[in-house]
Amino acid sequence: MTDTHAANRREDLRLITGRGRYVADSNLPHQLHACFLRADRAHAEIVTINTEPALKCRGVVAVFTGADAIAANYKQFPNMMTFTNASGATILKPERPVLAHGKVRFVGEAVAMVVAESALAAQDALDAIAIVYRDLPVAVSVEDALAAGAAQLHANVPGNLCFEWDTGDAAAVERAFAKAAHVTRLTVVSQRVVPSPMELRGCLIGYDGASDSYDIYTNSQGILMMRWQFAALTGVPEEKLRFHLHDVGGSFGQRSAVYPEHAAQMIAAKKLGRPIKWVASRSECFLSDSHGRGIVMAGELALDRDSRFTAARYQFLCDMGAYLTPTGPASHVRNPAIGMTGVYRIPALHGNFKVVLTNTSPVAAYRGAGRPDVAYMVERLVDQAASELKIERDELRRRNFIPLDAFPYKTPTMGVYEASDFAGCLGKALQAADWNGFDPRREKSRKAGKLRGIGLSTVIEGTAAGMFPKDQVAIEFDAQGRLEVYTVSLSTGQSHETTFTEIVAQTLGVAPEAVTLRESVQGKNLSGNHSGGSRSLVGCGSVCKLAAQKLIEQAKPLAAEELELEPSQLDYADGAFRSRDGEKMIGLLELAKKLVGTSPHPLNLMAEASVGSTYPNGCHVAEVEIDPETGVTEILSYTAVDDAGIVINHSVVEGQVHGGVTQGAGQVFGEHAVYDRESGQLLTGSFSDYYMPRAGWIRDIHVNDHPLPSKVNVLGAKGAGESGCTASLPSLVSAVLDAVRPLGIQHLDMPLTPSKMWHAIQTAKAE
Amino acid sequence: MFEFSYLKANSLSEAAAFVAAHPDAKLLAGGMTLLPTLKQRLAQPSHLVDVGRLPELGGIELKAGRLAIGAATRHHDVATSAVVRNAIPALAYLASHIGDPQVRNCGTLGGSVANNDPAADYPAAVLALDAIIVTTQREIAAADFFQGMFATALEAGEIIVRVLFPVPKRAAYEKFPHPASGYAMAGAFVAEMATGVRVAVTGAGPGVFRWSEAESALAQNLNVAAVDKLTLEATDLNEDFHATREYRANLAKVMTKRALQKMLATK
Repeated sequence: MTDTHAANRREDLRLITGRGRYVADSNLPHQLHACFLRADRAHAEIVTINTEPALKCRGVVAVFTGADAIAANYKQFPNMMTFTNASGATILKPERPVLAHGKVRFVGEAVAMVVAESALAAQDALDAIAIVYRDLPVAVSVEDALAAGAAQLHANVPGNLCFEWDTGDAAAVERAFAKAAHVTRLTVVSQRVVPSPMELRGCLIGYDGASDSYDIYTNSQGILMMRWQFAALTGVPEEKLRFHLHDVGGSFGQRSAVYPEHAAQMIAAKKLGRPIKWVASRSECFLSDSHGRGIVMAGELALDRDSRFTAARYQFLCDMGAYLTPTGPASHVRNPAIGMTGVYRIPALHGNFKVVLTNTSPVAAYRGAGRPDVAYMVERLVDQAASELKIERDELRRRNFIPLDAFPYKTPTMGVYEASDFAGCLGKALQAADWNGFDPRREKSRKAGKLRGIGLSTVIEGTAAGMFPKDQVAIEFDAQGRLEVYTVSLSTGQSHETTFTEIVAQTLGVAPEAVTLRESVQGKNLSGNHSGGSRSLVGCGSVCKLAAQKLIEQAKPLAAEELELEPSQLDYADGAFRSRDGEKMIGLLELAKKLVGTSPHPLNLMAEASVGSTYPNGCHVAEVEIDPETGVTEILSYTAVDDAGIVINHSVVEGQVHGGVTQGAGQVFGEHAVYDRESGQLLTGSFSDYYMPRAGWIRDIHVNDHPLPSKVNVLGAKGAGESGCTASLPSLVSAVLDAVRPLGIQHLDMPLTPSKMWHAIQTAKAE
Repeated sequence: MFEFSYLKANSLSEAAAFVAAHPDAKLLAGGMTLLPTLKQRLAQPSHLVDVGRLPELGGIELKAGRLAIGAATRHHDVATSAVVRNAIPALAYLASHIGDPQVRNCGTLGGSVANNDPAADYPAAVLALDAIIVTTQREIAAADFFQGMFATALEAGEIIVRVLFPVPKRAAYEKFPHPASGYAMAGAFVAEMATGVRVAVTGAGPGVFRWSEAESALAQNLNVAAVDKLTLEATDLNEDFHATREYRANLAKVMTKRALQKMLATK
């Protein structure tokens, strides 16, 4: 396919000129507005709740509480975690009434919902609700929650431990460690972060009494995933849930789930017979949108005399917050389990996972969903081993890479890696970043009083496997005979309008403008996966190609009929069927127009495929400079070499990598959801205290493709949505540690804020 | 936001009379602190009295060695004023680094000074330059005006009209922005006046303060090394989960050194 590197994205003009349509833009006649009263404490019994005074407030129509949630039986959220452990146990799922009932378990939990004629009136009335709480002890960290005598969040989850799971071969690992020439041990934290997409969370729900059905407008990553979750939580049959999904201003996993507020609005819409609209404030999003990451990881790596890895074992303490989200446990257990071996041949592996509840906002998938965390653990271990054994970091990696001839590579735990060229990516990245020429640059910085470091990461991630077994795409022609492509996947910023229309247009040999993409459209009976897990191009994108190919085949006999020839006399090229003798031709789009009037349009079709896991991988190199006077780290340059498989549109991939790398840099240098250990209050509840990455942080970034085609889909694509995040956590921390290792600093935990860096340097200098 | 009444004042005296008669009324100029506070429902004024466009509160004028800047002058206008840039370039520089472009195009000098946020930029310049705050009632010396976190000498109903900045021989400002909020985690305004060098530190403590040890040391030796030897006492500085008081003390010193270096590089 041609590379449209310089082309603007097709959706750009619409989105940057204010013509996007977001949840807050949706309205229904006679709608009411909801506002939620949220717990102001982390753990307490609700002794009494008096809503009467709120009902007397101006404009208030109704107030709903946990009693309404219990009456509706809206309390059991679906969960994607299906494993059983060695003793046959499945994960313990605590109930979560969609409005708190009996107890509150984290600051920000929705306790009551006021419905009023305006959003302001609803907000005003919140203060009139009187709640008497009886405070309970608080545990906001996994360590505190697992400690003996810790506060118990849920009666059915003893010790706050929802699930414990082991993977790999503990005995084999034990034997390997007994024989190891060297063992490197390290505990690292992938701290809890607040994903913070630009668009605020919101929902508008209408109820139709005649058909006992709902119209739902909300932020989403795709219609089927959302519909399934709404139905699972509420028991309302899927066919009675109509979704109206439009533009989404960022999701990062946070917008993939049904939330309690959604279901509470359904209760109100049904009871009051009027649509209910709610748009969160940013403060509410901080408190009650799902958080990301939150894993404490202890790793051990065994090496033989030749510094070859012989075994690794890990313990993962996964902080789920006060309740389980649909994606939280799976993303914190399944994805790290696949990535435990990293890009290395490690014959024996063992992982122990504990899924823990704390008095904090529930945790869900967040860009990478466990993949960046485990990559960070593995790469930190490898860097640490290199430091301890005084081997160059690139050399230790080369010595242990899974070699090209070992693919497909079945890891000792889960997953079968597709062919990947780790050494090739590494070589290309080191050359592009002038790795070998680093010493003079370090010296130059030293003379200026600065600490310079260079770091790398070589990572892989198992991705693209969807929840729904098939991805389906429909091609239909409208009343004017224009070509429309229907998908289940929904762009939340991944440029589907550009990429998917390009795939169809190029396969057909027509102009991209002739193709219109319609995503997650209500009423289209398609199956398929939502946007997430780097899978849209791999799954949906490849079926777009299949659909276009199928269209040519389906059109051929009709074209032949039109041209009064046999199909075998026709060839298709450049958007048209031509007779072999060159005498007759008809364009595909012209044919489609001629066939308008027959219903359904004879060229309408559906294509489908089952697409398995892909394994994007790559090598990233970061170069940083630290000012020891202030502790500020500056990212001087960043080089990414990614195997995202075959690239359809480099500028789209590059955009995804830029975003992923910068989001990773956010976690490395600033982002951290900090809860007060005693009170359980969120201390970083606004952008005044929560340290987001800035656009100017990474100014000198180079994104290079190193594609090895995937064999699991017709495009050969592997995906690119999350790899930037996965590779940047370890590469950036590697660079910072490289800068300060000469001072004797061997370990630091993210976020590497100026304050933390300054203290570390001061302490090191004093020692 | 709670409900309030909005009034646009036609004159300074009208505004002063109104706020004197209505104790729950608030003055609105740029609104860059007040409006976020209202949105968070942290304040419930009865009225907002808009003085942001009053001609009496405008104007930038250099007269008798003093730069007079009207209280409602926007940060952007201070930053880009040729008069300010010629007379006290460090003040223009400071104004150009407040907040972001939106804040600089709305926020005002008087609003910033009256609010006395411990992490605001302007108080450092006002104190270091020994400026005079002219109000509807009197003239207040900078040293008397700032009285700790969000506290000033302003009486109820008293309105800042303009600030008179003595023009220094040379001056410079350097700040370390809080990584999240962008406010000064520590900022230092260093000014060489006829009476000696003055150093004012913002952001690090509960309110803007002069670093007297640094001033004394610089009176002896006007160079960076003189400050380098000092340690700013951290006991009374701010501490929170973002930064320890020791880190803030260090930042205040580093910013002082950098401001000094910058000042000494100018003629």
